[in-house]
Amino acid sequence: MVLSTIKNAIKYMVKKPYTRQVPRKDKRYKSENLRGAHILYMDKCTGCSMCQRVCPAACIDMVVVEGDWPRNHRKRFPRIDHSKCTFCALCVEYCPFNALSMTDATGFELFTTDKSKTLKMPQELKPIGKETLTKQKLLSSYAPPYALKKFEKALEKSRKVSSSG
Amino acid sequence: MGDNGKLVQIYFGPQHPGAPGNIGYKLWLDGERVVRAEVIPGFLHRGFEKMMENRTWEMNITLSYRFCVEDPDPLEIAYALAVEDLFGAEIPENAKYIRMIQAEFSRIASHMFWAHFIGGSTGLRTPAYWAVSAREEILKWFGWYAGHRIYHNISVPGGVRYTLPEGFIERTLRVLDFVEKTVRDVEKALIRNSVFKARTVGMGKLSTKEALELGVTGPVLRATGMPYDIRKARPYLNYDKVDFEVPTGSAGDSYDRCRVRFQEIYQSIKIIKESLSKLDPSEPFRIKLPIVAPAGEGIARVETARGEYVIHIVSTRGRQPYRVRLRSASMPLLTTVVNYIIENEEITIADFPVLLASLDPCAPDLDR
Repeated sequence: MVLSTIKNAIKYMVKKPYTRQVPRKDKRYKSENLRGAHILYMDKCTGCSMCQRVCPAACIDMVVVEGDWPRNHRKRFPRIDHSKCTFCALCVEYCPFNALSMTDATGFELFTTDKSKTLKMPQELKPIGKETLTKQKLLSSYAPPYALKKFEKALEKSRKVSSSG
Repeated sequence: MGDNGKLVQIYFGPQHPGAPGNIGYKLWLDGERVVRAEVIPGFLHRGFEKMMENRTWEMNITLSYRFCVEDPDPLEIAYALAVEDLFGAEIPENAKYIRMIQAEFSRIASHMFWAHFIGGSTGLRTPAYWAVSAREEILKWFGWYAGHRIYHNISVPGGVRYTLPEGFIERTLRVLDFVEKTVRDVEKALIRNSVFKARTVGMGKLSTKEALELGVTGPVLRATGMPYDIRKARPYLNYDKVDFEVPTGSAGDSYDRCRVRFQEIYQSIKIIKESLSKLDPSEPFRIKLPIVAPAGEGIARVETARGEYVIHIVSTRGRQPYRVRLRSASMPLLTTVVNYIIENEEITIADFPVLLASLDPCAPDLDR
């Protein structure tokens, strides 16, 4: 019989709708680990090209940014193409100097009608949302001594470079 | 037959709402009956196997889950397991349990999406929408834990990327409660409905012998009465340490396949609950693998929502694989099984979408 379907359907008729009206009446669902638009800390970046080499979508290339960069003598910084990027966070994970991290700005927040604007220059990789995924967070899944050692080593190295530069 | 006594040819898909994804069929009709079907693949061919040869071991993870959009997690786990097999690495226990939770959540989400498809094909759209709400809750859980809803990137060679966030167990149990309640409602409304029974009982029958000869695995094989599940037959991760059953059917028709899938969801919920109790946040979740792999081969067999999935990796010592070979579960479902059933049974044009939905194939899995 179809009675079981009707019985259940009546139950769902009186329930509040599951769907939400975003962005008109409700906020977007965000989480602490959300992988969205990148942040580049230009003072930490040394231009080593690790992010470019590890990117599976080949959306990162290194460009020259004029200015005074004590840690980056060749003045090379990553430029990220958001139209190609899959937001896998491998660049964040493999950056040896913690220069890249991710924010919770995704989806329609990155919407543009101009295709050329998806190519984000290093200066444009600023925090446009809350910082969510960092290298430190990803390192914490390793065995604690390893993660700590590796992180401290990188920290020490960055301190040395910044003091000498 | 057409007016001139010839069979009528029609195209079914890739834009047809009853087609399982971006795949087409050329059908030959005799009146209402489908007498021949020819699959038209290639709409989603992206050449993943070749692409994987040009990327490093870590980078390939981001390709590995794109073979099947509906059930991506077992595929990324399979790739990670194959690489670990090649390296001969033993991953932490926490990573194994997290991967099990990930794979079972993906199975439930995939079966819930299937419930939506079969509901649409049989004209029962109302319970189909409830099923999507359960899937949505799981996708939200993935979004919360891994940062993305569809492609999660949790399992990587060496373990899992994320530790346990605050309130992990509570939230997971809450999601499971919601999913279980919804699944029970959908099951009652769908399986017990007489219209649904009239459309599926006795339609698309396969016997165990025929299913095995056609290379079928997964719920379609289990519906014929054979309790073959890689999780039991060749346990990977920690499936041998948790208690679950392999649901089977008896008739091997479309209705039995639906019943088996609903039973599988309850078993998956059981596995997740048991895995949750075995997590230890103070232990590591990941180990570091070397950059260069030794020469050799790695193989992994996993049970996806559609059947057995095999990844075979060949390495000639380097940073990239020499060859990655996949065995997809949807290949026999979309090709040989459909043809076999059409030849041996009277399948009308109205039955055809229901038959495809009951087999639950995945078009990107076939094309890759």
